[in-house]
Amino acid sequence: METAIETHALVKRYGDVTAVDGLSLHVARGEIYAFLGLNGAGKTTTVRLLLGMVRPTSGEVTVLGKQIRFGLDKPWDRVGYLVETADAYPELTVRENLEAVRRLRPGVESAAVDRAIERLGLGAYANRRSGTLSLGNSQRLGLAKALLHRPDLLLLDEPANGLDPAGIVEIRNLLIELSRQEGVTVFLCSHILAEVARLAQRIGILHQGRLLQELGLEDLERNRRRRLVVRARDADAALVALRGGGWSPVLAAGGEIEIRDAAAIERPDDVAAGLVQAGCPPTMLMVEEEDLEQYFLRLVGQAGGGA
Amino acid sequence: MTNLAQAVYVEMLKARRSRVSLFTALGILILPLAAGFFMIILKDPELARRVGLISTKAHLVAGSADWPSYLGLLTQSIAGGGLVLFGLVVIWVFGREFSDRTAKDLLALPTPRSAVVLSKFVVTAMWCAALTAVLCLFGLAVGVAIGFPPASHQAILEGFLAIVAAALMVIALVTPMGFFASAGRGYLAPMGTTFLILLLAQVIAAAGWGEYFPWSIPGVFSQGQPLGAASYAILLLTSLAGLAATLRWWERADQAR
Repeated sequence: METAIETHALVKRYGDVTAVDGLSLHVARGEIYAFLGLNGAGKTTTVRLLLGMVRPTSGEVTVLGKQIRFGLDKPWDRVGYLVETADAYPELTVRENLEAVRRLRPGVESAAVDRAIERLGLGAYANRRSGTLSLGNSQRLGLAKALLHRPDLLLLDEPANGLDPAGIVEIRNLLIELSRQEGVTVFLCSHILAEVARLAQRIGILHQGRLLQELGLEDLERNRRRRLVVRARDADAALVALRGGGWSPVLAAGGEIEIRDAAAIERPDDVAAGLVQAGCPPTMLMVEEEDLEQYFLRLVGQAGGGA
Repeated sequence: MTNLAQAVYVEMLKARRSRVSLFTALGILILPLAAGFFMIILKDPELARRVGLISTKAHLVAGSADWPSYLGLLTQSIAGGGLVLFGLVVIWVFGREFSDRTAKDLLALPTPRSAVVLSKFVVTAMWCAALTAVLCLFGLAVGVAIGFPPASHQAILEGFLAIVAAALMVIALVTPMGFFASAGRGYLAPMGTTFLILLLAQVIAAAGWGEYFPWSIPGVFSQGQPLGAASYAILLLTSLAGLAATLRWWERADQAR
């Protein structure tokens, strides 16, 4: 598959601080790739490196087949981006801000401004000065600027920032539509892990400038921890019964019994039957699956610090 | 293709919508008003005392209330005040991108960064030229209203040409403010630098080295002293250095904020 973004052993240091440490990324064309990390993990620095805004200390960046280096031809006519916060000229209206971007992107037809306004639901605010917009509408304007020229690659830093729940769903659907129908590659950084889990096809977990793990949704499915949680009126008797049945139960906080055996998680009905036969029927039986947030925090915690 | 014309259009749009353009226009009007005020006092000090324009204890600087003196005063005021006002224009045009956090949106576009920087200098030069035109027109109106003794058209024309020449020198000398505003990422650092430069210009001119310190040169010129080739070379080099430093900074400096 063609590569939209490729970095090789990318390092960025500011004095003694290493913001990005040996990052090697491969993002395929048409993919939605999410970058997860705590504050200061190096997400925004990575986006700025991809956009040629900061120069790498070492390593290489290639975007849409073009190496990002001073003096070389850049692919910016095919890239839309939103870095950190969505900012605009406060004294210009929404339409004027978009018109300014359009003029700085040669070849973009004037109808693109109306199209972006409509697509991002900014019609009611088109003639309003951007300095008076709410945070959510400022974010919509930032996304409209990024989408104005129908880019092949979108680099979005916290695209859901400031949006209300309906807005988050709307933008998520828009990004999925762009990816599936128009083949747009989306590279996004986010703190909203539930949102990332719904949107991204692949996830990169960044911690202290290093890529801890890259995983697809099926990898997440495979790697995340699952457990069977059991409650019974007599926990001690239930523990004895479960051990007798060949499982490995552990008494967890709050009197809950936790079983991590794959067989128990796959067939909780066998566990229930065993407990009933032992005379201590369960009052609760629940298979719990680690979600992306828990998985992320566990991974970052293992890597040391932060969470 | 550098897309410079479109970049200039965008910068013009931002300048037009800004209140700073109005403030600078009001600021330039102060110069003829202040010069006119001195001329009225010079014309008739007793009258000025009676109507309370000046204190009865005031000692007036020697001078005459006529077109050449008035236009000479305007030339001096643009050589000094122009540095602040035109410097402010450049500082605003560059510094606002950092205080409004919009600079990042100019860095990864098909329009090269050099075109963005050049468009800013083009617009600031046009803006300052327009302010100079306002100064000349309003200065003429104030002069006519004061009613100076008749002077030859030649003398009046030469007076206005001197104003324009001093303004052009100042326009050339404010390019380094673009670099200070960019490297300082805002308004405060370049404003401080501008006032420091203005102070240095006064001190160096008073020490008699004004023709060799770039920002003293318009002041020396406004006093009617002829400038040597070295002064013009210093002016040109300072202007080009400001332009080159700003271009290089936008092209090469890490834009991490």
